[in-house]
Amino acid sequence: MSAEHLWERVQMAWAMLAGRPAGEVRPDRERVTRPPAPSEPEAGAIAAEGFAEEALPWMDAVLGFALRLTRGDRDEAEDLVQETFLRAHRFWDSFERGTNAKSWLFTICRNTYLHGREKAINRYEKPAADFDAHVETLAAVDAWGPSGKAPDRSFFDSLIDDKVIEAIDELPEEFREVLVLSDLGDLKYAEIAEVLDVPVGTVKSRLFRARRILQDRLRSFATEAGYVREVES
Amino acid sequence: MISCEEAVARLWEFLDGELEHVDEDEVRQHLEICRKCYPKYDFQRAYFERLRRAEKRRSERSREIRRDLLRKVMAQVAEAEAEGR
Repeated sequence: MSAEHLWERVQMAWAMLAGRPAGEVRPDRERVTRPPAPSEPEAGAIAAEGFAEEALPWMDAVLGFALRLTRGDRDEAEDLVQETFLRAHRFWDSFERGTNAKSWLFTICRNTYLHGREKAINRYEKPAADFDAHVETLAAVDAWGPSGKAPDRSFFDSLIDDKVIEAIDELPEEFREVLVLSDLGDLKYAEIAEVLDVPVGTVKSRLFRARRILQDRLRSFATEAGYVREVES
Repeated sequence: MISCEEAVARLWEFLDGELEHVDEDEVRQHLEICRKCYPKYDFQRAYFERLRRAEKRRSERSREIRRDLLRKVMAQVAEAEAEGR
């Protein structure tokens, strides 16, 4: 049974259980199933077998990733998406049909981006070594001060989309890419590890750190806007 | 019954659907009855919902760009295939 089928089965099981009181508390990171293939007649004319059905539906997801990689530079992101799909098409024979085309496309997109940037400025910010060294200490969700009380969730709704995006784009690159792949791109830890070519433990430590930084930043925005009191914990 | 520390330590993995079945059950059972931890779970859920909403709107706003990109990619792919023949 493929991972996708397994996930669908799990989702169905969750739906069946949703009626019970316990159903309220459940993992609710629902995975995005593959969107439909483009309906344009030209798509059917593409000779590369399965490319239109398996790769093209992920164009929006790749665009979303490209936009955050480039910190919202639309022109650069669009070029990146085009280059990604052209490369994917060129190397389509090496893609194992039926496996995860989305992760594969994200990998190509990121490599293309890094390659272009290396050529342009010849540097890639390396993650600080100590961030990856403390998986355990970073595993816990922040305790939010001595009281350990979670802040009111309503402040998330007080923020406009632009502020949320701004906060994501402010993240250092090694945190931004892992967070975008997980929290916007909906990839699993193992898939992200493949895209970034790092161990799953590194994915977790970077991701959890990224979420903490982002949540702190969002809270600062909400505080500046007067939605959250300065000292709550 | 696992402790609050253990439940909170695994909260993100729980929400990400990355825990083994047994671990997932332990965290879920804890969250169902713990007044201290449930708000933390709820807070993190609100975080995911907020990001997902922002991404959904981004996607809705990108409809035109996407259509344009798709046309360009298909034209370039067709050209590459014609050259390859």
